[in-house]
Amino acid sequence: MNYPVWDIPSGGLLIAVIAILHVFVSHFAVGGGFYLVLLERKARRGSDVPLLDFAKRLSRFFILLTLVFGAISGVGIWFIIGLVHPQATSALINTFVWGWAIEWTFFAIEIAAAMVYYYGWDRLSARLHMAVGWIYVAAAWLSLVVINGILTYMLTPGRWPLTRGFWDAFFNETYWPALFARTFAAIGLAGLYAIWTAAWLPDAALKARIARDAAWRWVLPMAIAIPLSLVWYLAAAAGAGVPVAEILGARDGGPAAVLTAVFSTGTDTGYPVAQRAAWWVIVAASVLTLLTIVLAAIRSRSYGKPLAGVLMILGLLAMGGSEWVREDLRKPWVIGQYMFVNALRLPAPAGAPAPPEAFVQRFGADRFTVDAVNAAGVLKSSVWVRPVPDHLLAPNDYAGRAEHQGRELFRALCASCHTIDGYLAIRPLVRGKGPEALNGVLSRLASPVDASGGASAWNALPVHVKTWRGRRMPPFAGTDEERQLLAGYLALIGGAEPAALGPPAPSADIGKDYYDTNCAACHGPEGLAPFDARGRKPAEFYEMIGRLPAINDMMPAFEGTEEQRKALAEHLASLPGQTPKGGAR
Amino acid sequence: MIPVVPQPDPLALPAPAWLLWALLLLTFFLHVIPMNLVLGGSIIGAIARVRGRRSDRPHEAHLAHLIVKAMPVLISATVTLGVAALLFLQVLYGRVFFVSAVLMGWWWLSVIGLLIVTYYAAYLLAMREAGLGASGTVLAWLVAAVVGVIALIYGNNMTLMLKPAEMVARYAADGGGSQLNLLDRTLLPRHLHMVLGAIAVSGLAITVLGALRRAQDPAFSQWALRYGAFICTAATVVNIFAGLWWLAALPRDVLLKFMGGDMRAMGELLAGILLTMTGAGHTVLAVTAKRPGVMAAISAATLLAGIAMMLMTRDAIRRFSLGLAGFQPVNWVAPQWGPIAIFGVLLLVAAGTVIWMTRALGRTQERGRRP
Repeated sequence: MNYPVWDIPSGGLLIAVIAILHVFVSHFAVGGGFYLVLLERKARRGSDVPLLDFAKRLSRFFILLTLVFGAISGVGIWFIIGLVHPQATSALINTFVWGWAIEWTFFAIEIAAAMVYYYGWDRLSARLHMAVGWIYVAAAWLSLVVINGILTYMLTPGRWPLTRGFWDAFFNETYWPALFARTFAAIGLAGLYAIWTAAWLPDAALKARIARDAAWRWVLPMAIAIPLSLVWYLAAAAGAGVPVAEILGARDGGPAAVLTAVFSTGTDTGYPVAQRAAWWVIVAASVLTLLTIVLAAIRSRSYGKPLAGVLMILGLLAMGGSEWVREDLRKPWVIGQYMFVNALRLPAPAGAPAPPEAFVQRFGADRFTVDAVNAAGVLKSSVWVRPVPDHLLAPNDYAGRAEHQGRELFRALCASCHTIDGYLAIRPLVRGKGPEALNGVLSRLASPVDASGGASAWNALPVHVKTWRGRRMPPFAGTDEERQLLAGYLALIGGAEPAALGPPAPSADIGKDYYDTNCAACHGPEGLAPFDARGRKPAEFYEMIGRLPAINDMMPAFEGTEEQRKALAEHLASLPGQTPKGGAR
Repeated sequence: MIPVVPQPDPLALPAPAWLLWALLLLTFFLHVIPMNLVLGGSIIGAIARVRGRRSDRPHEAHLAHLIVKAMPVLISATVTLGVAALLFLQVLYGRVFFVSAVLMGWWWLSVIGLLIVTYYAAYLLAMREAGLGASGTVLAWLVAAVVGVIALIYGNNMTLMLKPAEMVARYAADGGGSQLNLLDRTLLPRHLHMVLGAIAVSGLAITVLGALRRAQDPAFSQWALRYGAFICTAATVVNIFAGLWWLAALPRDVLLKFMGGDMRAMGELLAGILLTMTGAGHTVLAVTAKRPGVMAAISAATLLAGIAMMLMTRDAIRRFSLGLAGFQPVNWVAPQWGPIAIFGVLLLVAAGTVIWMTRALGRTQERGRRP
């Protein structure tokens, strides 16, 4: 809102593609250096010329991949996050400019050491060459040590939201488990890349030696170490307030419950993309482990590029899936306890460093917090909202306003994640739903609660976010009228007739009004669980309305008046039975 | 049109602005040196490769070979040092930089793809130079062209970010990230000035190379001294006109600052012109000097000092343009002294380590050349 939104279909997907390809190479840059230096030491100690030749060959592949694609795609992540999420990038840079500057010193050493190592095979003494190799290993790993602090901060910001302190942000709750997991992943990837490179060797005996060593000593131990560190990581995240179980649709945060949730189908709760990504991680990592055992045990002399290629693809899937899950665990935040994915900030909590008077005088109070936007409205807060030409807005043309201003609201609030028909498409989610129902959903997207689930405020840290059906959406922010316009726009996308839209006016039927706004999104004809009265009497409905969460924990408690409760019960009893969609009830 | 500058984050600046500004200038200066050698060197190398095909031009062929071998390392240094400059730029000017980057989103992102392509092309040339034949020449021109395009895209972003008054209207017209700033009056002379400057610096590098190779290969050394001096002085002379064109194309209020409105800025501009001309002139003196190494060193020192002054002028243009557009610096500072101190120490460690490693490699190279 403070910055323009880059109008492309799914910038988030673009970030994911660049980032996943980058981490697959950058972790190899860390582990691969370690592997190379140990390989060189082994070859030199044993005067093993073929092995030393392989080390040289691997180092060439190594610099071509890591110095070019690895380094430039890393810069690419920075470019793409600045384009897709400038507000969050700005906050990250403000907080961590010195972290990045420190990382840059290691990066500079890493790049120079890699080049000297590669060009120094025949020029440097063995001792000096090894020393340069170890300098590379240290610099590459320290680079990971620093970046890990920034990455984990985004999920679990530690005490930073209150103190704004660099070290409070850096050494956050998930820092250590993530560092272990990434280090193990780097080591495992080094073995995987070694198997891949050895597939080109014509000498079957040498190939077998390298493949077996890489499999048994590098890849397979990590098949145990990485899952253990991930369990630790998830537990640390959950301990820091990340709703791991809710996002993955599990009953609790334990490994068994998470596994059950990931492999169950048709989960109505949680974040489906995260669940699917976790499924891919587990399946790809398991198949990768099995195939590596097969390769090391019986095919080490004869395996070829296809099998090595399959292992690499499985490694990419496992690594990419893990990063995907990590990103999804953060939803609906982009920076935990500070900024939502749609760039809305929390109001400054009490006790956090406040800007001095001179700053406020120069730039004004923060206009982009949830509360500020609720008060002023999106259309007034953001200069990037495109004005609608007058000729497109006839007087009292509500549908026209919903179409044009609703679209601008969608761009400002939703487009950072959703597309209309592409990735995370909104159309299937709103198809057939009326503006009242969508307005009801928007008003419930997210709300602040305390640790026990009681209503709270956005500036009362730590904020727990209660989201609609656990879908981990950020809150709608804007005026009531803007919410209705956005609901109208979404209804139009979902196929509603423009004539059916209109300024919401209370009708004589209180029960129908309440139903349309609060129940129809899920229980309407196109909803997940279409309503079926099945001959129940109003009194029975009246009683059920009082215990909605007990009937299904996805249903919110009734929040209306006594009069609305009675009217709603009457209305429910008057509804004709509907065939449940897909058998859901 | 009302200039629009996004509201700053409600976060304190993590260091005094002067420190961030000094590091921006320092890292950008360090970035510009290898960047000039990549930009100018790739053009000179491609030309030398074509001209060196004739058997009576062995020195040009040798120069093309040296440039091809150095190019991957130079690109690597350019990127590594450029990253730091971009970091400090975003801390100080992110509010306008991010907006202009979004407006030209696809172009800006294409830099990454173009860099990967040109980097791999440079490596391919360096590793397979002999076997590539005519396709090697095509690759050499590809590297030069792509590097030139990257420079132009950067120039677009760096000029577009200076125009907050245009941002809202531009975004309303097209938010898809396909815009450039081609109609900006300063863009073409600015780009020309940068490219000619890069060629001049590369000419200086050839002069320095000639001075260094004097004992080892006298014939090549003499040719390189002459050739480098010719390129450096010719490019510098032409660049005076390009620089004047750029100056004349500046918005009037900015131009007036350099015409006495701001004595410091005027002084830096004049010092930059004098120092670069002095530097280029000394490359000519190096051709006939008894100790060309001394002249080449003076030339390098003065030209680099001239570049430093030019970068101050470039920075002044940015400050004046943004100041006139209502851009105000963040006046809330809470320095992170601990991380700053760690960075300072590690910067020295990194510089020492990199110098030690490259000198170790250089020493063995020298030993290898001795009979």
